[in-house]
Amino acid sequence: MIKRGKLEITKDILEIIYNNKNSIKPTPLLRKSNLSSTRFKEYYTNLLEKGFIQELTDKDGTKYITLTEKGFRFLEKYKAITTFIDEFEL
Amino acid sequence: MRPLEQIFMVGPGTEVFYSFIIIVCSLMVYFGTKELYELSSYKGIKYFRLSFLFFALAYFFRSFITFILSFFNIGTIHEFSPIFMPIGPLTLLLFMYFSSMALFYLLYSIIWKKWDKNSIMVYTFHIIAVIISLVSIFSRRMEVLLGINIFLFIFVSSVFYVAHKDKKIKNKWNNLYAVYILLLIFWVLNIIDILIPPFLQTFQMVIYLASCGIFLIILYKVLKKTGN
Repeated sequence: MIKRGKLEITKDILEIIYNNKNSIKPTPLLRKSNLSSTRFKEYYTNLLEKGFIQELTDKDGTKYITLTEKGFRFLEKYKAITTFIDEFEL
Repeated sequence: MRPLEQIFMVGPGTEVFYSFIIIVCSLMVYFGTKELYELSSYKGIKYFRLSFLFFALAYFFRSFITFILSFFNIGTIHEFSPIFMPIGPLTLLLFMYFSSMALFYLLYSIIWKKWDKNSIMVYTFHIIAVIISLVSIFSRRMEVLLGINIFLFIFVSSVFYVAHKDKKIKNKWNNLYAVYILLLIFWVLNIIDILIPPFLQTFQMVIYLASCGIFLIILYKVLKKTGN
């Protein structure tokens, strides 16, 4: 199995949220991301800090994760980012 | 003046226009890739952008050098006294520093994955750039100035070649490698043109046109890939 790069993992996590009607609980997100809980926590914190995702709590106190505008923009631009990196051999 | 020199030599107006084109191209590359970097935080994109920011700064000081040479009606920048007329050597110092760093950042954007474990590499490049700048100011010997630039060319082009060869890319002879090598060749010629003006005076126009062409090709590739 090919090791996923940081950008690809970020894209995969954001895509899971997007494909789940932009609302998912942390535990299913961890399960679907195919990462260890330690690595998932690293990425999760990073995505929150960068403003790609946000945590929302409903009236029952359940925590949901949704994409921010920046998160949507990342998904839109992901292909451009990877082709740019390939083209310029960065 | 021989007829060939009359055709290929350029005046101050052309110099300013030439610098303007390169500065605009470099800044467009820098700002055109801003969003890609902000979204990805990818180090390769960061060094690539910094390289073009430094190219813009280097060309700004290059045009300033040609301006003061023309203003004071002086043949070469080394005729300025470092003590009584520091503006000349100071501008040359900044030009050499920014131009060396532009090349080093471009190089680092390709090889950062291999050298990233050693984070002092960027600082080493800064130190080398400062040394090159100081030698360029204090040495008036043509052989030393040529030697530095030939060394820089050989060092950067060989690392480019090794990095390019090692990468698992589909088209080994894609035109990016050729563009980078041409950029490097004409960049060194530009530096020699500033440090030792009589050396390449006959072919100034050719160097300028080729340099503009290379920067426009890179800008086109960047805009095409970023979708701007």
